[in-house]
Amino acid sequence: MSPSVLVMALVAAFPVIYAVILSLYLYQGRLREGFGGLENYAEALSSSRFWGAVQATFIFTVTSVGAEFLIGLGFALIMRQVFIGRGVMRAAILVPWVIPTVIAAQLWYFMFSVTPGFVNFSLGLDRFNWLGQPGWAMFSIVFADVWKTAPFVALLLLAGLQTIPDEMYEAARVDGASTWQRFWYITMPLLKPAILVALLFRTVDALRVFDLPQVMTNGAFDTESLSILVQRFVVQTPNAGFGSALSTLTFILVLVIGVLFVRALGRDFVLNVEDE
Amino acid sequence: MATAEGVVVESSPQRKIGRYVMLGFILLWCLFPFVWLIDTSLKLGDAALNSPSLTQGPFGLDNYLSVFDQGFGYNLRNSAIVAGTTTIVCITVGSLAAYAIARLPLKGKVLILSAILAVALFPSVALVPPLYELWRSLGLLNTYPGLYIPYTAFTLPLTIFILTTFYASIPKDLEEAARVDGATAFQAFYKIILPLAAPGVFAAAIIVFVYAWNEFLLASTFAPRDLAAQTVPVAIAAFTGSVEFQRPIGTITAACVIVTIPMIIMTLILQRRITAGLTAGAVKG
Repeated sequence: MSPSVLVMALVAAFPVIYAVILSLYLYQGRLREGFGGLENYAEALSSSRFWGAVQATFIFTVTSVGAEFLIGLGFALIMRQVFIGRGVMRAAILVPWVIPTVIAAQLWYFMFSVTPGFVNFSLGLDRFNWLGQPGWAMFSIVFADVWKTAPFVALLLLAGLQTIPDEMYEAARVDGASTWQRFWYITMPLLKPAILVALLFRTVDALRVFDLPQVMTNGAFDTESLSILVQRFVVQTPNAGFGSALSTLTFILVLVIGVLFVRALGRDFVLNVEDE
Repeated sequence: MATAEGVVVESSPQRKIGRYVMLGFILLWCLFPFVWLIDTSLKLGDAALNSPSLTQGPFGLDNYLSVFDQGFGYNLRNSAIVAGTTTIVCITVGSLAAYAIARLPLKGKVLILSAILAVALFPSVALVPPLYELWRSLGLLNTYPGLYIPYTAFTLPLTIFILTTFYASIPKDLEEAARVDGATAFQAFYKIILPLAAPGVFAAAIIVFVYAWNEFLLASTFAPRDLAAQTVPVAIAAFTGSVEFQRPIGTITAACVIVTIPMIIMTLILQRRITAGLTAGAVKG
């Protein structure tokens, strides 16, 4: 396994260190101007654009992961109850997951657009500009993300549900437990590991959101995420020092949240592997 | 099927109908947007922009022809090469690494899997500025290696994670028996374990391929325009129309359909395998 650890170290750890080094230098366009110490960080932390991106990223993460969890859980509970056509259902539920996010973004861009205006048409609205105003632009992006990933969450949770033995529900029913009680005292506790894993992967994924706002709004109307912001300072207005400072800050942020999650999950997550 | 009866027994006809209505809703949720996509891609000229109605024509295949006129064939080729290379490298390295980890004592296993998990949580955007500078000086911008090297690094952790769960489910006795019969460690792995883990390897390969095929952030940064390396997602995001500021809905939806149809068919055929891969490690079993 040493070659794979080596590859991972080279391609993952080395650039992070390189980014930290780059972030200490001042750049003018693509040219290095000199050593700046923590100047880039000071500039980033005092810029409203950075905090705007932090806010947009957090709003996106909390709302999309929350909605995906609730809808995904609903889908999973429905699918557990049905035994005909389960293969077809599982395949259908995989389809939004399997297609490129860019395609989902273009699809929902056109759906929400004023022309042809399929969403407006379906809701009986006249020329409502979903993508052209703060708030609703973010809503549209969250909606597209929920559409694409709620089925995926459902799949993970369904796998978790299927490990709960039916005898437990039988026993609870015999003891007179209501549907709600069975859900709350049997399903939820036993589903907890699967829920935590789903939430962990979805949260970390949502924090690095790029494709949807990039394609649907190009970061306009308060939808510029941290990933978009960093990419701007690489491609549009290149500044390797400032861009690296932003990427390092993003990295720290995601890392802290990831570590908090993994700690909450504890060893049993990794130990699942051992249980076979 | 005892499990099935347990749940079905209590169902009244109304509840049964209710369930199937909700099931229909899930199907609609997942698949209707594609119906709309196909429908829109077949509309000619401005028809797609003028009316939200699904039945408003005229219809035709012109959009599909114009997609390939804009070099989409190159994009498909690039994506196939980049995703294919990523998958092959990743599975080759990953299957050996996962095998080693699965046979480790418990303590070391937890440590390594935790480290792997940490890499899996890595935000790819942290790589964008440093790798861009690096690729620029190494001349790797707008090349295949510039994409498949980071893709491999990003998918390896997940591959190892998935494969470790599959290997762990294969009894050790099997390879011990092979060793007793005189097989070398590598023969035991290659002839006994690998064939048994084939479904898992296959599942991991699909997931890696889908990741590399769909990736957009690095692709649009490291190979934004050059048709020699531009991948499918970048092309789909970048189609420009005859009128500036107006996205060519026909071309884009047609390109989306071209990419989506084979992926949907693949998903329908391989759903069992993909599900097994995605849920490995997420739940016991």
